[in-house]
Amino acid sequence: MLETYPADRPLVEIVKVTKVYSPDIVALQNISLSVAKGELLFLTGRSGAGKTTLLKLICCVEKPNKGVIEIAGKDLNKLSSPNIQALRRETGVAYQDFKILPRQTVYRNIAIAMEVNYTAAKVIKKRIDELLDVLKLTHKRNIPAGKLSRGEQQRVAIARAAATKPPLILADEPTGNLDPAMSLQVMGLFEKLNEGGSTIIIATHDETLYKNNRYRKVDLHYGQFATQSTLPGFLPPANGNQQKLI
Amino acid sequence: MGHETYFYFKQTGRNLQQSWGTQLMTLFTVSMSILIFTFFFLVYTNIIKAGDRFGDELRLIVYLDDEVVPEMRPQIKKKITDYSPVEKIVFVSRDEAFHRLNVQLGQEGDVLNDLGAGFLPPSIEVFPKKDLKNLTLIKQFSDYLTTLPGAQKVQFGQGWVERFGYFTELLRVIVFLSGGLLVMATAFMVSYSIRLTVIEKEAELEVLRLVGARSSYIQTPLLIEGFLQGLLSSGIGLGMLYLIFLWTKTHLSGPGFLHLLDITFFPPVTTGIIMGMSILLCTGGSLVSIRKYLRI
Repeated sequence: MLETYPADRPLVEIVKVTKVYSPDIVALQNISLSVAKGELLFLTGRSGAGKTTLLKLICCVEKPNKGVIEIAGKDLNKLSSPNIQALRRETGVAYQDFKILPRQTVYRNIAIAMEVNYTAAKVIKKRIDELLDVLKLTHKRNIPAGKLSRGEQQRVAIARAAATKPPLILADEPTGNLDPAMSLQVMGLFEKLNEGGSTIIIATHDETLYKNNRYRKVDLHYGQFATQSTLPGFLPPANGNQQKLI
Repeated sequence: MGHETYFYFKQTGRNLQQSWGTQLMTLFTVSMSILIFTFFFLVYTNIIKAGDRFGDELRLIVYLDDEVVPEMRPQIKKKITDYSPVEKIVFVSRDEAFHRLNVQLGQEGDVLNDLGAGFLPPSIEVFPKKDLKNLTLIKQFSDYLTTLPGAQKVQFGQGWVERFGYFTELLRVIVFLSGGLLVMATAFMVSYSIRLTVIEKEAELEVLRLVGARSSYIQTPLLIEGFLQGLLSSGIGLGMLYLIFLWTKTHLSGPGFLHLLDITFFPPVTTGIIMGMSILLCTGGSLVSIRKYLRI
């Protein structure tokens, strides 16, 4: 679905989306955003700005109260259950709370994303070995993920998100528990995936990650866009809320 | 397709590994239920078979006032067969009856010396068709035979046939009850087992949903689990029954009641049907539980 979508159209289109949690906590308010296919985008903002909520809306974990979210031209509100499953298989998500299986090994935690695609065991092994090497986890391969440090667990979550080289990757605070060197390593992995064609949205408040690089940044502030940097050759939607170019 | 099957079985293996305690408990309970049900079913089928054998020897004896002259025999035969077709009709004269009794008494036949050949009444032995097994029908036939000209009374071992009928009825009820027990125990245990698997794997199921696992990827291993439970339980239950059967054959054979029964095990078709039904029951139980407890 995402792989074959035309490159000249936005892969992710968010139009006037509002998300309110019960009883009346406004997480996102009337926001609009377009993400081009093959783009690497930083979603920045302080804790509670709505970054995680926005990522959850994009990967169908939550539903908006108002507005439309389209992935590859498909309205997520109208997607059937099998189509949501198909979309999730094409979307790698590194969750802020990792969502790892503590009793399962590191290998199995990463393999699960590929197994649901019925990938051959040999291919799974090769890919996991590559990722473990990049993320410096090779020696932890057969250790239950629950016995790892927070930083290591975070890398497992990133490896799982990147395992299938999915067309869309969402990473929520991917370097929150990592040291600067490892953060650079992780960023290098994302850039490599991006060069390979993946569209990547990284939600972070880690300035070192998004400062002084060529990628677009969108700043969320209390559920609304505060600022948005330019993207060459790409025009953000005109009806978005509080979009400024910097 | 090959890959899919590989992953389904791999996932089933993981499920079984994670909840082996529950799985063993389910296996044991369902096997025991199958053993209890098949035990009574086997006893029932053997008793019915024995009944058939005894039924082959069933005859109604019509005692007469006077012997039937040969010219009258076709007429009486017609009268009997007009009511119900029979295997055969044998006319027994006073002399023939005396001779038979003499043979039965053997060495003690001397006691008959003073009585003379004419003290036994002549009779007609009516061997009904094999399909006339129902006690009510036999009774009706017997009532009809009393209306034959010269008939004194009719005997057919009524007490024995009645007791045998009640016994087979009782067995039939036990078979139904144990069948009900099997269905309930299986449904409960399989449902319980799937429910525990779902609870134990809650975190994994959440991750599977988040990475986009198809419904079939999550459900099929649980169905395979049910299938395997059915296959293994029926295999174990029937295996244990076969051991009991062999032991009975070996240790309780020889002259006696069981020898008279000549017990046999289920034919392969019945064994297959029992296994198939158990598998169907367990897989169906899994399917119902999946729909009830699994949120995809």
